[in-house]
This record gives sequence, C-alpha cells and structure tokens, in this order.
Amino acid sequence: MYRSGKIVRMNTSIDISHIRNFSIVAHIDHGKSTISDRILELTHTVDERDMESQLLDTMDIERERGITIKSNAVRVSYDADDGETYQFNLIDTPGHVDFTYEVSRSLAACEGAVLVVDATQGVEAQTVSNATLAMNANLDIVPAINKIDLPSAHPDEVKTEIEDDLAIPADDAVCVSGKTGEGIHDLLESIVFLISPPKGDANGPLKALILDSYFDEYRGVVATVRVFDGSIKKGDTLRMMQAKGDFLVDGVGVKRPAETPVDALTVGEVGYVVTGLKDPEAVRVGDTLTWASNPCPEPLPGYREAKSMVYTGLFPIDNKDYENLRDALDKLHVNDPSLVWEPETSVALGFGFRVGFLGLLHMEVVKERLEREFNLDLIATSPSVDYHVYKTDGEMIDVRSPQDLPEATRIERIEEPYLKAKIICPPEYTGAVMQLAIEHRGVTTDMIHLTSKSVEMRFDMPLAELILDFFDQLKSRTKGYASLDYEFNEYRPSELVKLDILLSGDEVDALSFIVHKDKAYGLARGLCDKLKEIIPRQLFEVPIQGAIGNKIIARSTVKARRKDVLAKCYGGDISRKRKLLEKQKEGKKRMKAIGSVEVPQEAFMAILKVDE
Amino acid sequence: MAVTALYVHVPFCAQKCRYCDFDSRSFAPCDLSAALDAYFEQLYARLDAFGDAGALAQVRTVYVGGGTPSLAGERLVELARRISAWCKPVEFTCEANPESLTSQLTAALAGVGVTRISLGVQTLDNDELAAIGRIHDADRALAAIATVKNAGLDVSCDLMCGLPGQTAASWKSTLDGVLTAAPHHVSVYPLTLEEGTPLYRMACRDESLEPDEDFQAACMDVARERLSSAGCHPYEVASYALDGHECAHNIAYWTGQGYLGLGRSAAGMLDAEDFDRLAGLYPDVPARGEAHRVRLVQRDDAATTFDAEYLSQREAVAEDLMLACRMTRGIGSELLVHSASVIAADELAAACDRALELGLATWAPDHVEGRAGRVTSKDVIAGRARARLAPTHLGWLDGNMLFELFWDLA
Repeated sequence: MYRSGKIVRMNTSIDISHIRNFSIVAHIDHGKSTISDRILELTHTVDERDMESQLLDTMDIERERGITIKSNAVRVSYDADDGETYQFNLIDTPGHVDFTYEVSRSLAACEGAVLVVDATQGVEAQTVSNATLAMNANLDIVPAINKIDLPSAHPDEVKTEIEDDLAIPADDAVCVSGKTGEGIHDLLESIVFLISPPKGDANGPLKALILDSYFDEYRGVVATVRVFDGSIKKGDTLRMMQAKGDFLVDGVGVKRPAETPVDALTVGEVGYVVTGLKDPEAVRVGDTLTWASNPCPEPLPGYREAKSMVYTGLFPIDNKDYENLRDALDKLHVNDPSLVWEPETSVALGFGFRVGFLGLLHMEVVKERLEREFNLDLIATSPSVDYHVYKTDGEMIDVRSPQDLPEATRIERIEEPYLKAKIICPPEYTGAVMQLAIEHRGVTTDMIHLTSKSVEMRFDMPLAELILDFFDQLKSRTKGYASLDYEFNEYRPSELVKLDILLSGDEVDALSFIVHKDKAYGLARGLCDKLKEIIPRQLFEVPIQGAIGNKIIARSTVKARRKDVLAKCYGGDISRKRKLLEKQKEGKKRMKAIGSVEVPQEAFMAILKVDE
Repeated sequence: MAVTALYVHVPFCAQKCRYCDFDSRSFAPCDLSAALDAYFEQLYARLDAFGDAGALAQVRTVYVGGGTPSLAGERLVELARRISAWCKPVEFTCEANPESLTSQLTAALAGVGVTRISLGVQTLDNDELAAIGRIHDADRALAAIATVKNAGLDVSCDLMCGLPGQTAASWKSTLDGVLTAAPHHVSVYPLTLEEGTPLYRMACRDESLEPDEDFQAACMDVARERLSSAGCHPYEVASYALDGHECAHNIAYWTGQGYLGLGRSAAGMLDAEDFDRLAGLYPDVPARGEAHRVRLVQRDDAATTFDAEYLSQREAVAEDLMLACRMTRGIGSELLVHSASVIAADELAAACDRALELGLATWAPDHVEGRAGRVTSKDVIAGRARARLAPTHLGWLDGNMLFELFWDLA
C-alpha cells in the first residue's frame, strides 16, 4: 500500500472476476478529476493528508491548464460490501481533439466507463460525444450525477436527459458529490456490479496493449499496458508486434499512484512494464506486446501510426541552444512518440527544427515542456500543414514550411489536405457552426439530429483552416458546447499563395505564410495590424508590409518610440532604478533581433491571433 | 572621502496621492500626531548617532523628503535645528505640499538653516489635481511659491505630465502659471503607473487613464522649450534651474558622491572607506568584502534592518557612467579617463560608439567655451582629447537605452 511515501511490494494476484477496468468521462468542469480524487481517498489509496487535488494529472502543464494530456492508469483496491476485495484500474484519458487517438486506445483498455454529468448543468455536448465514444467501444456505462450538494442541482431532470439524449438507462445512475464525498461509496459498488470483469486467457499467449509510455533516464522506456491474454513478469522476453523489436522485461508494477513493483501483471490487469529500451522509437502507443518465444498470431486491432497534422519551426532564441534543443526533442520524443522533426534554417532565426505535431494544443504543450523542462527560450513560427506541390518539371514535393515553396513560376499546382470534420452541438448553435465552417472554406456534407439536444454536422474542410483558431472559435461561438472530431480525407488542388512579411523593407522568412488566395488580402491586413500591436516601439519607425511576390498588399507602421526614461528621483534610491532597468532588459532578452528590429516571440505566432 | 550629503525621509502624508508607490502612510488626524512624535524621536536618535560618529561634520547638502515633511510642522523645524547643529550645509532642502506650508513654518525653517523648499505643485489645473488625489488647489500652490520667495528661500516646483484629463493646452497653462510665479527650480516628471497604486487599478479598468507616451514626450519637449526660454536650463533628465540654483543634493546622486539616508525607506550610498567607518551604525548588514560601494536602504522606523547592495569596483564605475548620462552635460572627460583604469578602454569606447551610432549621445566641448571638434571615443578615453559625451534629444527622452548601454559594462 502507498502510505506516507512507504512503498511495499505487494502480491497482487487476484481473480480476474474481481478486476474492473474503467475510465471516467465527462464534459469539461463536470467534476471528473474531483471524483477521481475521491475514489483514491475512499479506497485509502492516498492518505487524506497526501491528497493533492487532481492527482492523476501529473504534469505541471496538465494541472495548470486543468486538462489531461497523457493517459494515466492508477490501481486501487476496493473492499466491497459483499466482503470481497476488488482491483480497480482507473484509466484517465486526454480530453482534446488533438489526442483523440490516445483516447481511443485508453478506452480500448477498459470494460466500462463512469459517465459524469453535472447535476446543475445536465447533459452537454461533450457528455454526448464522450458517451458516444464509450458506447462505440462497447463499454458498460455507469452514469454518475455529480455536484448534488449544490442548491441548484436537479438530479431527476438530469436522469431524464441521460435517458432521452444519450439513450442510456439512468435507473442505476448514482448521485454523488465530488466535493463532500456523498455517494462515492455507492458509485464504487455500482462499478463492481455494473461493469463487466475483463475476459481473457490467463495462460496466454500474451496479448497486451500499450496505452502510454515515458522515458526514465535509468530504466529506459516505461510503458503503461493492459494485459488481454497471458501475463508479464520480470525476465520475460517480449516482442512489440508493430514496431518489431524484442526486449527483456526489467520489472513490472502498478501505480497506486506512486509506482509500486509487483511480481507479475496477469490477465485483465493494467500496469507498467520497464523495458530498459533506450530507443524511444521502439515503443509506440497502440502497439501490441506479446511473448517473443510464444507469440500470439494477431496483434490487437486499431493500431494507427501517430500522424503529424501541423508543422511549425522551433528555433532557440539564443542560437547557442541549438544542440540543447536537439537533445531536448530526443528526450521528449521518448514520452511522446508522435513528435517528428527535421532541421530547418531560417535567415531570420538561424538554426532550428521543423517539428510535426498532432495539433495546435499538442504544439503548445510540447513548446511549453521544452521551455520548462529543458530551460530553453524558443520561438515557434506560423503553423503549416503538409502541402503537395507539383512542380512544372513533374516532380511532387512535400512542403511543410512556407520557405520551402518553390517560385510561383515553377509550380504547376498545389494540393492541400482536406478533412472530414464532425461537429456535435446543441441544435441552437447549428447556424453559428455553419457560418464558422463557411468562413473556414468548409462545406456541409451532412447533418443528423442525434437526440433532441444534439446535432451532428459533417463538413469537408481544409486542414489548414482547422489548425489556426478554428477549435477556439468553435468553442467560443457555441459557448463551449460543441465538440469536434476529424479525420484525414484526401488531397485536393487549391489556389494557394505565399504571403511574405517585410519589416523595415526586409523580408522575414520566419513570418511567411501559405494561404488561400481569396483570403490573402484580409489576412495580410490583419497580420500587419496584429504585428503592429505586438512589436514594441523602437528607436526608429518600423514599416510592416505584407506582400505576395513583389506586390505589396498590406502595410502598417510601428511608430518610433518617443519616450522611455526613468525620470523620478525617489530620494536617491538608485538600486531601485537599476532594478527597473534590469527588469526591462530581461524583457528584451525574450525578443529576437531581426536586422535592427527587436521582435517578441509571439510575433511569429501572430497569425493565430488575427481576427478576421 | 567624508560623506557630504544627507537625506532624511518623512513617510507621512495627509492623504496618499493615487499615483504614489513611495513609502508614506496617511493617518487619521488624531493618530497622526502620536505617530509623528514617535517617528521623529527615532530620527533624532539616528541623527545623533551619526553625528557622534563624526559622519555629519562634512555634510554640504541636506534634503528632507517624503511623504510630506511639511505635515510634521514644528517637528520639522526641530529636525532642521538638530541637523544644523551637526553641520553647516550650503544647501538645505525641505519638501512641502502647498496645503501644509504656512508662512510661519517657512519662516521658522528659514531661521534654522533651511535654504530651499521643494513644492509638490504637480499641475495648476484643479480637475487634474483632484484626479490624482491631491488635496490642494492651484491658488494654494501659487500662494505657497510666493510664501517661500517672500521668506527669502529658493523654491522648486515639481510638475507632472501625462495626468488623467491633461491636455496640451492645460499643460502649457500650468507651465505659464508656474513661470509667472518664477521659481528658481522646476522638476518635470512624466506620470508612471506603478503596480499596486489606486491609479494603476483605475487604469486597468479605464484605459484612457493610462499616460500616453507620445503626449508625455510632447509635454517634456514643451516644458524644455518654455522653461529654457525663461532662463530655467535643463541640467538633468527631469530638472531645470536658473543659473546657480541647480540642486546640489540631487547632483550628488548622479555624480557618485556618497550620501547618508536616515528614516524608514531612506536610501544611502557609501564608499568602502565610509562604510567601514560607519558599519557599526548598520546592525546586521554583512561585511562588504571586496565591494567598493555599498547601497543601503533603511527598512524600519527604528533603523534595525537594512537592505544592502554591494557593488564591485567595476559595477561602481559602470553605475557612475550610467548616472552621468542623466545629467545634461553627460559623461565628462575625467570620468571616462578614470573609468578606463577599471574597464578596458576598448569596451568603454565600444559603448560610447554605440551611443553615438544610435544617436543617443554626441561629443560636446568639455567646457562651455571650448570646441569638441572631431574627437574619437578612443582619444577621449585615453586622455588625448577632452570632450564630454552628452545625451542628445533622443538620448534624453529615450534615456533608458543609454543608461543600459553603460550599466551593461558592469
């Protein structure tokens, strides 16, 4: 047991009928994390005094943003009312469209899901989409109506909504309060009775799904797995069926939530495997583990290579940090195998990398982790998708950076990736969503009324439109009610142009952007205005111009700074004056000198902030 | 080198101004008197301690600032009397606000050695005064200037630009009104919003209260033009004076001379020798080690805790260069030549060249009647030519850039 930091190896072998693997799904802010915390507390997995709110979200960034980025699995022991002890594996899942694949892998490791619905808010859009995901994964669903301690709670109406809108029987719905702990015991009992135990062949051959992995300097790659058949113990030689590699198991264990070694992970269980592998590439989320000596014939279904959707340049502000950035990317990659990169050189920013991401949130998270965990100051440039450029000489090239676009005269045509996007939202927002889609070159292909409270709309739209501010706009225009999912459809020809930005008359390659020609003028104007806001006034005037080829299509000017002087005397407190000066200087360090112009980091991402 | 300047802080105000983040507290009238008594007792004790240590004998300039020293009334007179008993300053300034400066108080101060009153006028527009929480009006301010002049003392007026509601026209009429009253000295400060002040919080809600940089620059230009043509010449970033009436005490700050700071939040600066001599008066302040300069700020009323900052020889020289850039005359030949004995001449020349290249400074003749001609930074630093590196108009308004260039040499 994990008590006050003491870790004791425990014998965990338990009958498969006493295992419950489940995930908790909810609309944002409906209380998923507090309920997880309560479960850990009530099962004495964590002492009350060790309770740190939202235990499962371990990364700083996750806690600060209140989002789950990585999947996480915690084991708790529950002494049920029937006198038996059950093993619960609580599998936390990411909640953002960038990480849909990780969600699907996490759900594949569960037999059930607790669907949390706020007693004051009722069923909301994400409740619908998460419930749909869970039902599609054939999970047993335990509805839990949360926040019943609030005076405005109306659990009976919410039950009706669950039945009407989600078609989930709500007779068994448990009323709980994550805040007071009321009803959590009932919830645990419901998990025992309503969620099926795992099925599988205890004797193998081994079949285990990799849900997540991270890198430990001493132990190499550590993978979180769900065992479907067979078992894993230290000393086994395992094979990764997709990545095609073998390794010797260095140890197995479970998170309670501190890592606790166990003798074996047996059929139906969830835990971690120390692979000892120093190569991050070897272990991939979604891959199947089996015994090298007696492999299973078929891997688990649903494996998909993580595919980058968005590419941005990442450059160290201080060019000396280039090697450090490379090392940092290597290390992060172990924990995040979806990350891909290649070197990139910019006239303005020097040496860096063009890095591929699952989406913009993924990009922000990676950039933040690189900066925090590796102490780097980075500039990220405008995001781009992977364009297929057909040159007049017949060659097709992949262009992921505006700088790589050949001269217009050498381009026969450009094709860009199109998506099938699916948006679920309440009916009153369909107009707003359609309008948003049109603004983003989207075409409505289908519209289905799922329930009285939700409509599913399908769109055809270019990925490039989606990676900018689409998701945020969608959330804001639907007051957070809409959920978005998408998959790649096909490449289609588009009339795309490269928009260049000139500062003080010099083209800044890192600010270039590929855009549809119909949007070029508006975007150029918006970008020039936004840059004018972002670039601080300098000693001299800085003209900003937007150009396509040699043609200037937009301009703005950062006026020369008129005054910047610490005038007040403060009774001779020179230390104070100097500190103010140094603080100001610290701010300047976070800027990049482009020619003679000091440009703040966020200027290179200004494109994301342009209001159209 | 003996200390020649003394600063005394009086952190009390009848009401705190909305922009002010300097250490000062306001009390209900019934409590104020007791608070002042207690505070001044501790000031007297501190003063005597320095006097007994022989630290005051060479003091040439005294500045009692605040807060609102004039609020202390008789106690201020007593303080001045006690200071004058320890030294014979040639310049003795007390800060005052128009509402608490009576002719009796002025006369009494004149009688105990005070030579100069610095008045917090800020603006002569009553709406602007109200907007920043001042409790006097324009008439009161003008009357106070006359009172000081009648008592035969020098008078300085603090003015502020970029105030809420201030316009180019109102600023000009403030300048004209003040010039009509003919003070000996004027200080012009652009308003800065300091975090934590009421005005800062108000400006967070109402952007129009945020001072406009361009407007402030224009105000500073207008002030320079009008004050100069009235004979008040600029000699520092914010300071203007009739010839011979420059504030010697403030100049001490900008020219690396040591000064004592007495009272809560008062800042002092001592060179190594003075610090070693007076270290006993700064309990719990760590030894200076190799430091060449110590900057001290008193943290409490009783002078038991201090913030101390230690500057190496190189830092002290860089600081002198930085502070010299505040003066209209700029960095003189002597300082440049002296600096070269601590900081490599080519580093020094590079900083000067950068200032010239950015248009922040220019070589000016070292003496008023001299000619700078075409000198190079190398020649001046090596002592082969004499010239001072004087801030240009840009180097004045964009001073931080210039200050940074020289502080970077530290």
